[in-house]
Amino acid sequence: MRSAEITAEPAEARQLSLSFLRPSRSAMIGTLAVLAFLVLWQIAPTMGWVNGRFTSRPTEVLLAAIDIFQNDDFLYHARISLTEFVAGFALAIVVSVPLGVLLGTSKIARHLIDPPLMALYIAPTLVLLPIMVIWLGIDMAPKIAVVFLGAVFPIVLNTMAGMSEADPKFLRMARSFGATKFDIFTRVLVPGSLPALLTGLRLAVGRAVLGVIVGELFVSQAGIGYQLNLYGSAMRIDRLLVYALIVSAFGYTLTVIVRSVENKVRDWRSK
Amino acid sequence: MIAEFFYRRQALVLGTLSMIGIVVFWQIAVDTGFINPFFISTPSQVAAEFKVQFEDGSVATNVAATLYCFVWSLGLAALVGTILGMLAGWFADVESALEPFIWFKYSAPTVAFYPLFVAGLGYGTPTIIAIAFLFALTPIYANTLSGIKNTDRDLARAARSFGARPLDIFLRVALPGSVPVMMAGLRLGVGRALTGVVVAELFGANAGLGYAITYYGQLMQTTKMMVSIVIVIALGVLLTQILSFLETRTDSWRVDSGR
Amino acid sequence: MAQIEIRDLGIDYRKPKSNEVFSAVDSVDLSVEKGEFVTIVGSSGCGKSTLLMAVAGLVDLTRGSIEIDGKRVDGPGPDRAVVFQEASLLPWRSVRGNVKFGLEMQRWSGGDLNERAMQMIRLVGLGRFSDYHPHQLSGGMRQRVNIARALAVDPEVLLMDEPFGALDAQTREIMGTELLRIWERAKKTALFVTHDIDEAIFLADKIVVMGRNPGHIKEVIKVDLPRPRNESILDSDAFHELRKRLRAHLAEDMSSMQLVQEVA
Ligand SMILES: Nc1ncnc2c1ncn2[C@@H]1O[C@H](COP(=O)(O)OP(=O)(O)OP(=O)(O)O)[C@@H](O)[C@H]1O
Ligand SMILES: [Mg+2]
Repeated sequence: MRSAEITAEPAEARQLSLSFLRPSRSAMIGTLAVLAFLVLWQIAPTMGWVNGRFTSRPTEVLLAAIDIFQNDDFLYHARISLTEFVAGFALAIVVSVPLGVLLGTSKIARHLIDPPLMALYIAPTLVLLPIMVIWLGIDMAPKIAVVFLGAVFPIVLNTMAGMSEADPKFLRMARSFGATKFDIFTRVLVPGSLPALLTGLRLAVGRAVLGVIVGELFVSQAGIGYQLNLYGSAMRIDRLLVYALIVSAFGYTLTVIVRSVENKVRDWRSK
Repeated sequence: MIAEFFYRRQALVLGTLSMIGIVVFWQIAVDTGFINPFFISTPSQVAAEFKVQFEDGSVATNVAATLYCFVWSLGLAALVGTILGMLAGWFADVESALEPFIWFKYSAPTVAFYPLFVAGLGYGTPTIIAIAFLFALTPIYANTLSGIKNTDRDLARAARSFGARPLDIFLRVALPGSVPVMMAGLRLGVGRALTGVVVAELFGANAGLGYAITYYGQLMQTTKMMVSIVIVIALGVLLTQILSFLETRTDSWRVDSGR
Repeated sequence: MAQIEIRDLGIDYRKPKSNEVFSAVDSVDLSVEKGEFVTIVGSSGCGKSTLLMAVAGLVDLTRGSIEIDGKRVDGPGPDRAVVFQEASLLPWRSVRGNVKFGLEMQRWSGGDLNERAMQMIRLVGLGRFSDYHPHQLSGGMRQRVNIARALAVDPEVLLMDEPFGALDAQTREIMGTELLRIWERAKKTALFVTHDIDEAIFLADKIVVMGRNPGHIKEVIKVDLPRPRNESILDSDAFHELRKRLRAHLAEDMSSMQLVQEVA
């Protein structure tokens, strides 16, 4: 089963998100570890253990963050990156859900399209970035394209798996009550494949965020990735880290949201 | 006869047909002037160019450079990921301590730190290996962790009743039981390590498939670029298939040994 | 005329991935009166489910015909409802949602639909559990939901394929009594497949004994035990007599099966 890829990320995301509410031993240890790391990071350059030029310091990062939010055209760059993300992701959903449905309900279509689909799912689609730049220029379009390419395959494959693995018992039961093809689709196939679709969306989020950043790092005139590149080459590590943290927080939040919806949906059908 | 063969091997037949179909369509679309060859080249040109690059040794050079980084990064990720995963799987406190960092790593696109790596390690091979290492680390760590953590409680209890000490249980129950899950993590790690290497090469390298793609991309030489793109895709499929094969092997070994 | 008329019925299955056919049921003639409770017994694989699914309109007939109230069966219809052997409740719907399913298919609308569903849920004694999801119910409760779902669409004929097959002996007995209570109130014609000899006798007006290779009817036995029935009839002489007769039939079938295996 393809959705076996769920294991591709740290388990127990739910525990972590809940642990903020009720401090457990594990939450305390986690917090302590982060604090220790921050302290170490703060004093290491002063003690001469590392070169502060490369590592910066937590306090510097904090100051840089305040500065960036006040006067770095932050919103402008964030809006560009967000637009690329949303456009690419929306496009991916618009294409992949119907395609996944088609492939999930037609065996012939599935056999036809499965091999190229798997190849593109496995292969690093980011290698298509340079060719996207040739086709689409250096504005938002090539980034939207790589976001799309990153997000589309996990959604298609998971939707397809969800639909095609629909339980034949349910199909027969529905037919016995005189369900039409449309009834079966809307009342059996769609709700039945919802968890798989959500798994696909969740896996797609990570790939899409990566697409935006790689696309902008590769070539761009604005956006979070552009800023990353700018401060990276200027060796402004504090500012670089602020932007990296923002991206991280964005990806994390989105993943947690999708996962919590997914868990709700899955809860209904646990054995 | 033919009909029966078709019926039995439908997936294989249709899959092959569609792959051939794509290549033929690509060729025809360009030949009939439907698409400008500048944008996408043609299969025949790519094949011819592949022959040229193969004979002058640049295919070998690039594949070798990419595989060199790939092997290093995957090896390091397997080593570090497995050790950390085992520690975190066995000691709950280690897991709690590592969790915030792993989550940060998971949701932060590693490439965002590309400039930082360049600053620390310089352009080229070390940076590429470091990025790909971080790409591959997460699934290997996460799967090892969950494999060890979900050790069969009944088995562990049975072992303890025979007087097994914790170390015995770890080595003889938890570890062998986790092999299949760890293999799955490694398979995911393979795909990610390759992505990491090629993406890092896009940004700065002096050899490698990713390097070739950017290099010819900047020169707008689509045909030459396509050669490397096709090789990367084929490499991804090939490596993942090898790992899937190994995975089924370890899995069947587990079933054979009887639970 | 009888309500269900099955004439010279034959059903062939195509063997997977080849052109050979396999005859699952052949030359079956059966008539069932309105309001009659008919149980079907026979050894595993003798075509009981196939026969039932044919009446449900879920498999294609190869030969012969099935008529219900004089109308030929050529697909599922609102005059029949099936209670399946396996848990066929949709896991993402609550008890109420599951019972509504058949009504939705028959285009019932809002208020009526809700009321009807709740009425049926209460009939099978699950009023307090209407918002539970299937995984929160016991096996017996799930089968009640299955029955409520079938009854809700108010079919003329209720088709049940080993609905209590997965239950333990005690729950099975309770469910049987319960089913009789519901059936006596709802006045449906019922076809009921079972492996359990006692269950077959306890429920039936008429027992159909099937044999195999290909599936055919060996005998139809009338059951004249008085209604309403309760567990006490299990010890009556008439019951013992019937049990002996059925045992003999099934034992015969088993030995012929062994013979076939030895020859093969
Ligand atoms: N879809 C099918 N395709 C091919 N053969 C089938 C199919 N369904 C059933 N059969 C065959 O038809 C025969 C009768 O099957 P059926 O399910 O009707 O038996 P049954 O009497 O209900 O058995 P059980 O008591 O085990 O449920 C069996 O030999 C079975 O293998
Ligand atoms: Mg059956």
